[in-house]
Amino acid sequence: MLLLRLAIRNLWTHKWKTAIVGGLLTVGTLLVVVGQALLASLDLSMSQSIVHSISGHIQVSKAGAKDRLKLFGSPNDGTEIGHIEDFPRVRKALEALPGVEAVVPMGFNNAVVYGGNILDVKLAALRKAEREGDRTRTKALRNHVRRIVGLLRGELGNLEGFVDLSRQSTEDREGHAAVETAAHDAFWQGYDADPQQAMEFLENRIAPMAMGEEMMFLRYIGTDTARFTQSFHRFELVDGKPIPPGQRGFLFNKLNYEDTCKHKTARRLDKMQDRIAEGWTLKSDAELKQWMELNQRQYKEITYQLDDLGAADVRKALQAELGSQQADLQKLIQAFMAMDDKNFAKRYKLFYAAIAPYLQLYAVNIGDVLTINGLTDAGYPTSVNVPVYGTFRFRSLDKSALAGATSLTDMMTFRDLFGHMTADRREELQRLQQGSGIKAVAREDAEAALFGADSDADEAVELAAAPTGSGAAVAAVGRDASAPSTGLADAATDAAAADLARLDLKAGGRRYGRELFGRRYNQQEIDGGVVRHAAVVLKPGTDERAVLQAVRAASDRDKLGLTAIDWREASGLIGNFIGVIYAVLATALLVIFIVALVILNNTMVMATAERVREIGTLRAIGAQRTEILAMFLAEALVLGALFGTLGAGLGVGGVLWAQAVGIPAVNDVLVFLFAGPRLYPFVTPLHVGVGLLAAGFVTVLSTLYPAWLATRIEPVVAMQGAE
Amino acid sequence: MPDAIVTLQGVDKDYPLGAVVVRALQGVDLEIDAGEFTVIAGPSGSGKTTLLNLIGCVDVATRGTVTIDGANTHKLSERDLTRLRLHKLGFIFQSFNLVGVLDAFQNIELPLLLQRDLGAAARTERVRGLLEQVGLTAFAHHRPGELSGGQRQRVAIARALVSQPRIVLADEPTANLDSVTGAQILELMQALNRTGTTFLFSTHDPRVVERARRVVRMVDGRIDSDSAMSPAAAVSPAAAVSPAAAVSPAAALATLTPAAADHPAAATSV
Ligand SMILES: Nc1ncnc2c1ncn2[C@@H]1O[C@H](COP(=O)(O)OP(=O)(O)O)[C@@H](O)[C@H]1O
Ligand SMILES: [Mg+2]
Repeated sequence: MLLLRLAIRNLWTHKWKTAIVGGLLTVGTLLVVVGQALLASLDLSMSQSIVHSISGHIQVSKAGAKDRLKLFGSPNDGTEIGHIEDFPRVRKALEALPGVEAVVPMGFNNAVVYGGNILDVKLAALRKAEREGDRTRTKALRNHVRRIVGLLRGELGNLEGFVDLSRQSTEDREGHAAVETAAHDAFWQGYDADPQQAMEFLENRIAPMAMGEEMMFLRYIGTDTARFTQSFHRFELVDGKPIPPGQRGFLFNKLNYEDTCKHKTARRLDKMQDRIAEGWTLKSDAELKQWMELNQRQYKEITYQLDDLGAADVRKALQAELGSQQADLQKLIQAFMAMDDKNFAKRYKLFYAAIAPYLQLYAVNIGDVLTINGLTDAGYPTSVNVPVYGTFRFRSLDKSALAGATSLTDMMTFRDLFGHMTADRREELQRLQQGSGIKAVAREDAEAALFGADSDADEAVELAAAPTGSGAAVAAVGRDASAPSTGLADAATDAAAADLARLDLKAGGRRYGRELFGRRYNQQEIDGGVVRHAAVVLKPGTDERAVLQAVRAASDRDKLGLTAIDWREASGLIGNFIGVIYAVLATALLVIFIVALVILNNTMVMATAERVREIGTLRAIGAQRTEILAMFLAEALVLGALFGTLGAGLGVGGVLWAQAVGIPAVNDVLVFLFAGPRLYPFVTPLHVGVGLLAAGFVTVLSTLYPAWLATRIEPVVAMQGAE
Repeated sequence: MPDAIVTLQGVDKDYPLGAVVVRALQGVDLEIDAGEFTVIAGPSGSGKTTLLNLIGCVDVATRGTVTIDGANTHKLSERDLTRLRLHKLGFIFQSFNLVGVLDAFQNIELPLLLQRDLGAAARTERVRGLLEQVGLTAFAHHRPGELSGGQRQRVAIARALVSQPRIVLADEPTANLDSVTGAQILELMQALNRTGTTFLFSTHDPRVVERARRVVRMVDGRIDSDSAMSPAAAVSPAAAVSPAAAVSPAAALATLTPAAADHPAAATSV
């Protein structure tokens, strides 16, 4: 009581000192509370993002693999994670554990997809118009194709300065000659004599030379699609329809789809629209300006795709909008794309109303058959085609590039791309290679050698599944030798699939027939092949750590050969993010507290020195050493409690305020970490408790030395006259 | 002798000071009985403070024994010495030594709080009584910084008395006061002495010595003389004022002018 009173009195009297020390303590405690609250909130939101989108709570993969599984790492990270030996057994064992809702097989991989080339599209349309005898349309398309061929010739001509033509392959030289022919007036004068032959020439000889083909990089996860969509609650179909259970199919991640497949000008306009909606203005924002300038500069993205009819319509619409008599389409488009904050909304609408209908808005359309090119596990290039069923997103993560990077496909397609190089299969492959003596032979020949030359290229199916026609599909089928090489390894390794597949040998990849796309694989087939890793999804409210232990125990007991990691670890860099923040925060707090400790200690020692006579007097009139010590500690505790409470109070207030308004995610990484556009942090009594404890601990610790000094003060000092 | 509160026998006190030893006290024998009003007089450096420190149990003798209220201080632990100071001794310091952050009331209450014997009500009553005795009722809630030197020393006197000690030790209690205020303080102590408190104080001020009933003179660490009071000093001026003054020290103070009572002090309190 006396101690407390003295302590409070002392603090009150030495306001300056108290203010400094108290300020430090307040800030420190506030940081401890807010830091913990934010970390806990982030941890939760991240787990929401990661657990319920891709990783599940726990990821299992082969034990002792060279690389560690990293779901969100760079594309080259963690490629050698091996694969789970016997997934059906693993699934059975793990699904038997309490708290486990589902075990979803997975295999992530990277791939390249080629966007459609406009010549292919236009030639397909021309063929259709010819067949239907539509004279106007035929004429317009023919002119368009001719213009494209002209441009192609021009671009090939430009190359000549850079490429040593004498070292070109015969194939290249023949190609150049063909383009030369097709660009010549004589070819078009002779077109009418035999349109069929002319079109064949264009399709077979010219189209493969055409540019404008874009490489699009894809990251996908092959999985049991039915299970996946059931178990991952953030999964949400955006367009199209789900992959029918057990069937082959591909679902684009919506964000990735928009970014990679959409017409560039249209995509930029969309992004401008979004950014303007966020409150930025064309007048002041450099990024918006840059997009706008790109739209003006890249007018060819539009003009290339317009035939005479489309060009006429667009010209008319733009002239009306701009109030101009300008006949030059390029100038019209450039003027149209020079937008400002006032006319943006109107022109955005006009773009979609008057220009977009004449454009191929997406390089791949829903309903198309997509040709995925990739490398097998063994490193051989391969390609597989698969129907695109639709697009999906992870709920409230649709703006996050991290969550939006991964597309989905079925387990069978994944396996065809990934290959399966078990030891005996590798041996088999070696035997085949030696037996046929084809080491030096081109791969496509090798495949022909393996499967015989009787599979006819004509059997490659009609793939234009969508009535609108698709760039990618046409591109995939209508070209020779576009895919760099064949999946020799795959072909050798997956004989069962090969039986069902109709191989388009000329194209050098797997060209599956429609009947394969319609085939329904049973659970045994889905689970029974290569599974690189698997997600263990838990029932709500299950203790993640307990299950992790149980999974590890089960793996040891049943010799499943698994390594099990939690979602934090599995997500790679992003999962470690929380650890990094934690470390940063902890370091910052440590520094603050050490500084506070030193300052507090110094102030207290100084205060003790100032109070030598007072303490001596107290001792003289009968205060025990322990009472002096207690007095100092009481002072420290009052200080700690007072400012600790203040800091904690401010911290809780701050967090609650943030909870009410939400912390906006200013970039897409944050959208992912926040599991949505805003983070609504929470604070628990534990955070407050730890904050108060830290404040108390620091003050008491910093008081120990001065307090000890004080107890050493002899009562006799009280007797000495005033110095 | 059963009456003696303080008994010193053959006490020496040496202070080692570098290579030499300062012999602050040499062969001091002294006895103080209850009810005495004793002055230890002597020039500066003669050993007065050292003697009081030994009696006040804040220092220990090099040789000889110091007995306080029957307890040999050599045999007491540091804790017990502290307890002895708390319960049996009262201190009045040369520079008052009040706790700056506490007001007059709280300063006086301090020893009672350390004793932990009395409840809040009893403490308040006792402190009030003392405040009245030293004439500071109106200043109960003033901090030392807001009080004059004389007032501060009166607070210190009240603090020394509040625990009802066997003896009050005062080391040059008037040294930091001007002569008028010093005289008042002295008179207050005399008045309190008449109500039963034993006082032992040191001074080198001859005017103070005049008022003592017993004067122990020190020279160079030895007791030079120990004399009962001179007849002139035996009759206190305060005692002559009125019979009531013998009962109430406050009444004695009341005879002084207010201006004199509030005379500024030269020294600052802690
Ligand atoms: N702590 C000490 N260390 C060394 N010498 C001391 C100490 N205290 C007092 N002395 C010496 O002891 C002698 C007596 O001092 P003191 O008792 O203070 O005398 P007084 O109070 O009569 O002035 C002096 O010579 C003084 O210098
Ligand atoms: Mg002295």
